[in-house]
Amino acid sequence: MIVQLVLRRIQSHPYRILLSVLAISSVISLVLVLEGFREGIYQQIRHMVTSRGADVIVSQAGVSNMIASRSLLPQLSRIEIEKIEGVLQAHPLTTLPVIYRQGNRSTPVFVLVYDTLGGPAEIEQGRSIEKERDIVIDKSLSAIYGLQPGDDFIISDFRFKVVGLSKNTAAFFAPFSFISYDDLIDLYFDSDIVGDLSTLPLLSFLLVEVSRNHDPKEIISKIESLIPRADAFLPEQIAENDVAMSRSMLGVVFQLMIVIAYVICVLVISLIMFSAIQARKHELAVFKAMGFNRMGLSKLVFIETFVLTTLAIPIANIFAYLLAQLIHDVAPVYLILSNETGPVVRTFVASLLFALLGSLLSLRSVVRLDPALAFKN
Amino acid sequence: MIRWSIKSLLSEGAGVVASCFGVAFAFLLVMFFSAVFSGESERIVAYPTQVNADVWVMQKGVANMHMAMSQLWDWKQDRINTIEGVKETESILYLNAVIHAGDRDWFTYIVGLTGSTTFSGPWSMHSGKPIPARSEAVIPDMLSRLTGLKIGDRIKIVDKYFTIAGLSSGTFSMANSIVFVSYDDLADIMSAGSTVSYVMVRANEGVSAEKLASRILNQLEKVNALPQKQFIANDHHMAMQMGVEIISMMTVIGSTLALIIVAFTSYVFIARKKRDLAIAKAIGFANQQIYMSVLIQSLTLTFSGLVLSAVFSLLLFPLISVAAPEVFLKVTASSIIEMAIPALIVAAIAALWSARQVASVDPVSVFHE
Repeated sequence: MIVQLVLRRIQSHPYRILLSVLAISSVISLVLVLEGFREGIYQQIRHMVTSRGADVIVSQAGVSNMIASRSLLPQLSRIEIEKIEGVLQAHPLTTLPVIYRQGNRSTPVFVLVYDTLGGPAEIEQGRSIEKERDIVIDKSLSAIYGLQPGDDFIISDFRFKVVGLSKNTAAFFAPFSFISYDDLIDLYFDSDIVGDLSTLPLLSFLLVEVSRNHDPKEIISKIESLIPRADAFLPEQIAENDVAMSRSMLGVVFQLMIVIAYVICVLVISLIMFSAIQARKHELAVFKAMGFNRMGLSKLVFIETFVLTTLAIPIANIFAYLLAQLIHDVAPVYLILSNETGPVVRTFVASLLFALLGSLLSLRSVVRLDPALAFKN
Repeated sequence: MIRWSIKSLLSEGAGVVASCFGVAFAFLLVMFFSAVFSGESERIVAYPTQVNADVWVMQKGVANMHMAMSQLWDWKQDRINTIEGVKETESILYLNAVIHAGDRDWFTYIVGLTGSTTFSGPWSMHSGKPIPARSEAVIPDMLSRLTGLKIGDRIKIVDKYFTIAGLSSGTFSMANSIVFVSYDDLADIMSAGSTVSYVMVRANEGVSAEKLASRILNQLEKVNALPQKQFIANDHHMAMQMGVEIISMMTVIGSTLALIIVAFTSYVFIARKKRDLAIAKAIGFANQQIYMSVLIQSLTLTFSGLVLSAVFSLLLFPLISVAAPEVFLKVTASSIIEMAIPALIVAAIAALWSARQVASVDPVSVFHE
């Protein structure tokens, strides 16, 4: 009977119910966006490591991260690794943190220097690097600075030419760019420290391709025993290390923001339910006069909240998706994964619980209703 | 009419309170986001601010410290010492790296100090010694608190183990905690002998930092020299810019949420007071007066929410910093004022929405029933 009453009410006040559902959807979508923001940061980090195309990644001994971490491998390690049975090729990769400046604005950029593997996996516009001074930049740099293929891109007073815009090449709040080794050497020569190139990072990582007949884990142990100054990892392993580091940096902040969003959720739902109760005080008083006890009225409020929140969930999903797209368009350096299964399920379960908590706040006014109100005009 | 609108709004009791709190928390979320960026941006410049040099000298093309890489030959420091107006100089090696401390990885800035340093080391100590010897490290006291590591325990930087010799204060931040080691140790890690990252220059009395910086630029090749103020401004500006788009987006999202809450409250209020509004119209109140009353209600709700969010931020943020000491929050007057602009827009749009409803109230409806 209570369920029927709730459904009847929904049918009789469609406009009001629509507004209530939209309000609840907005709050849930906020939580989804925050969850998606966090997931997006982790996903970007994982992608930047795993999309380099290696079966095994070799770093300086003691360095177990790739993003935002400096690694310096001995030059000869490449030759030694390529001698290992099962290794097809070891491709060099160097990371270089730089600051790009244009006008009053500056952005930290991670430059990836590659030769035969490790370049941009997806180029949205233009081409990959072929000639001297070519650079492929992440599309977020194009969005911020209006850069297009053919434009100059100056790093440390050294002039590159943008030839392509890559996508999915930003992580850790910073865009990535791609250059060749020849240009890295020229960049170093243009700076001061050319007397001793060994002081500059020339080889950060080796991206190892393993033959199909060999287990990458077996190659890892061979590399580590052969070259004590190097550590080797599966790409997924090093990606998870980067994610763990990012979690230790940002986890608390996101947790706090999600808590605030849930508080808003509770408040909005209590506001909606409180207004709903106020609007039909008379109707509820009639139920009380008819013999509905506290439990019955409470059930009525709970079921109505449950139905409203359940209706709001799919709309929240759509809102969150649209917001994520909007944020990505405005600030392409961020990726908002608002539809990841884990966070979505978690958010929906939490939203239902918090919705019920919100309805609890409004229950007091139901319990205090005077049945005599039913007989007043 | 204005008195009536405020009185009747207040008579809504718990509904208005929930609405105000909802708006307040929507704005609070935005303020929190902005406070995180402001706090971190301030921490990012803690080191150069505290070192208090007049001029910073670095590699050509480099103009800041945060997430930057700079290398200079160490003999350039000797050359700088001979330039007129230079009182004293100190140099550091500097590296962004992930350190392993207490079973977790932390993104940190490692500063390599020479033994003779007087002003480029930690500026405030919690305990232990400020200048590390070989294989020693001075870590932030907050890192010690978060990891449970104490003086005498070990941390790992790249592939080398370091014994904690001191705990410095004010050097922790989520994005760039500062760990001090000896110059020689860091040079080994970086394979960077005979080079330095930054030279910090103090000027003789009466010599302006700008003049000294340009003198250094004129006399040394392939370097950049910046007065301290500009060097710090570059870092601070860049850190804030990294968050500017996302803060703007969060402001839009938070404000939209506030707008929905205010509009919903106004809608419910007007729906319930339709009869009163019809009477007001029937007895001759002009539409403009009624619109004004609705606008005042929206403004009252929005600004109560805004004021509450400011109060909450002042009360809650220090508590957050106690519960989660790694988060450094900074609320600035400008961030509150910046929130007032979207708040005004929220109030105006919500009022417009409500005015549309008011306009549709038929005075004749008072005679129905």
